[in-house]
Amino acid sequence: MTARLRDALRETAEAVPAYDVHDRAVATARRTRRRSVAAALAALALVALVPVGLRAGGAPTTAAATGAGGALPDRVSSPAFGELHATDRPRLGPASVIFSGQAPGLVWREEGSRVVAVGADSDRYRTFTVGYEARTGEDVVLSADGRRVAHGSGSSGEPRVTVIDLVTGRTRDLATGVAGSVTSTPVAWSPDGRRLVVRDTVAIDEQRTDYRSVLSLLPLGGGPRVELAVGPHSGGFGRTVAFAPDGRRLAYEVDRPAPLDSADGRRPADPTGATVRVSDLDGREVSSFTLPPSTWLAGKGAWTPDGRWLTLAVRQGYTWRLRHVDPANGREVRMIDPATGGEAGAARLPWVSGVTAIRLLGWTDAGAAMVVSYLPHPNAPARFDGPLEMDQRSAYGNVGTVRVLALEPGAATARTLLTAPDEVVAVDVADDVVRAGRVREADPPAGLGPRFWLGAGLAGVAGLAVWGVARWRRRRAYGG
Amino acid sequence: MSESFHEFVVQRSPALSRTAYLLTGDHQLAEDLLQSALARTYRHWRRIHGGDPEAYVRRAMYHQQVSWWRRRRVAERLEAVPTERPRDDHSDATALRLTLDAALRRLTPRQRAVLVLRYYEDLTEAQVAEVLGCSIGTVKRHGHDAVRRLRAIAPELVDRPAERSVR
Repeated sequence: MTARLRDALRETAEAVPAYDVHDRAVATARRTRRRSVAAALAALALVALVPVGLRAGGAPTTAAATGAGGALPDRVSSPAFGELHATDRPRLGPASVIFSGQAPGLVWREEGSRVVAVGADSDRYRTFTVGYEARTGEDVVLSADGRRVAHGSGSSGEPRVTVIDLVTGRTRDLATGVAGSVTSTPVAWSPDGRRLVVRDTVAIDEQRTDYRSVLSLLPLGGGPRVELAVGPHSGGFGRTVAFAPDGRRLAYEVDRPAPLDSADGRRPADPTGATVRVSDLDGREVSSFTLPPSTWLAGKGAWTPDGRWLTLAVRQGYTWRLRHVDPANGREVRMIDPATGGEAGAARLPWVSGVTAIRLLGWTDAGAAMVVSYLPHPNAPARFDGPLEMDQRSAYGNVGTVRVLALEPGAATARTLLTAPDEVVAVDVADDVVRAGRVREADPPAGLGPRFWLGAGLAGVAGLAVWGVARWRRRRAYGG
Repeated sequence: MSESFHEFVVQRSPALSRTAYLLTGDHQLAEDLLQSALARTYRHWRRIHGGDPEAYVRRAMYHQQVSWWRRRRVAERLEAVPTERPRDDHSDATALRLTLDAALRRLTPRQRAVLVLRYYEDLTEAQVAEVLGCSIGTVKRHGHDAVRRLRAIAPELVDRPAERSVR
């Protein structure tokens, strides 16, 4: 039955010429060999580069533990693609700075919710994400020694505060226990790192027609929550909290509802200033006073280093200056240098102009005020030389970038200590770094981060394994 | 190394070319197939030249012919190749060859490989299974399908037409 087929195959085969493919076969073989070698070398290089890439993460430092205090980098940049996370090994150790914004690498799930922590004394970056538009220094806060960061959950279903230990990489969730809370936001660390001030947002009824704010002192080591204040749910309530250097008192802003405008019932754009309240650690009010318009508690570093006075930030047009007040009554204090008889303290500090706001981080041992200055966004919808609430002045749509400045006594102008790329709109600095006042030349990581290299290395190993198996199977199939 | 490989190619090219053509049914594709198989052989020449390099080349051709990427390339190329049909003014042998060309192109690469191994190389089903790296059952199935299809496409290739046997 198949004899005819055999004949046809042979007759057909007889008519086939010999193909002259020797030279092309040799050329193809050599090209394939070169490509195989190149691919294998590339895969091996990827695998070999993994430790190098991972070492870019660096070893953890013990700056805080040794009391060195770390140093402020003179610039920060967007994190590299594939940067290590805050809980990855090697651990970061204490951080000098944390920052956030809308710059590349800081946006996560369409929000600027990725925060970068920078090592205390070198440019090692670690990232972590929070569930909301982060404003470092306001709702994501760095402890005084730079070892821990605290952030909220951003989830209304499970309000909690998360504390990340940058030395151990461990995270810990804390619940304030405020009844009906829908969000918990950390706003300040105590100097010893044993307490957090947390602002809870609480619905006033089951229908959640409105909310109120509860400011609490939360011991990390256990123990009851201490309620500091209850007030309206507004951008200013509990926004700025400053612990006295000895950690036994704290000052904080609580909003006061502005009087209604008599003409059309709207709130005036520049309400009278908030109330500043000073409490002890048991929540007992020590004093309180009302701020004038366009005046704010200056920031977490509002207490003078000797713990006697509070510092306020005052806006006049586009210009901001600091002044000291008596925490007992809010009256301005004029400090006199006994040696020269001239003015001392905030009166001798330079003013800052052309910014949306400033926030006082603290005081260096040399007597300079270290402040964050918020530079206006080129497309900012708001004007900043007139009345505007503080939470709008540091909002990402209004801020183009930030600078950390030193306001040195007797200097004519502020000195820039840290610069950030556009769209980095919030920064916090560890108190220890502020006090030390040291600034180091930074060399931020660029290119690809260790996580990328780790992934690439694994892909390279997998590629080599697949290649090896395929080669083995081919050899077996061809019987060579 | 290169010289002995060259000698091997010179000596065995005619036979290998014939197999390559039967496997592909197209001269250009056959050249490609033989070139690829020889390139692979050249890369491993040091290891295989002491054994049976021709068997290695043939296995390489069979495997490449039925491999997925080769099938894709062949399918793309075949679309552009006009189907040759036997014409009345050809001799019997030429007509038969052209009929076979056309018929082979309508078989799957694996069916064609089984057909070539079984009826051109005269291998047993067990040997075909070993060469192709599949089971004897698979060889039987492909062989059966190939013959059945040929019978439908070109019955004269499988069963000699009655009038020809009379003539």
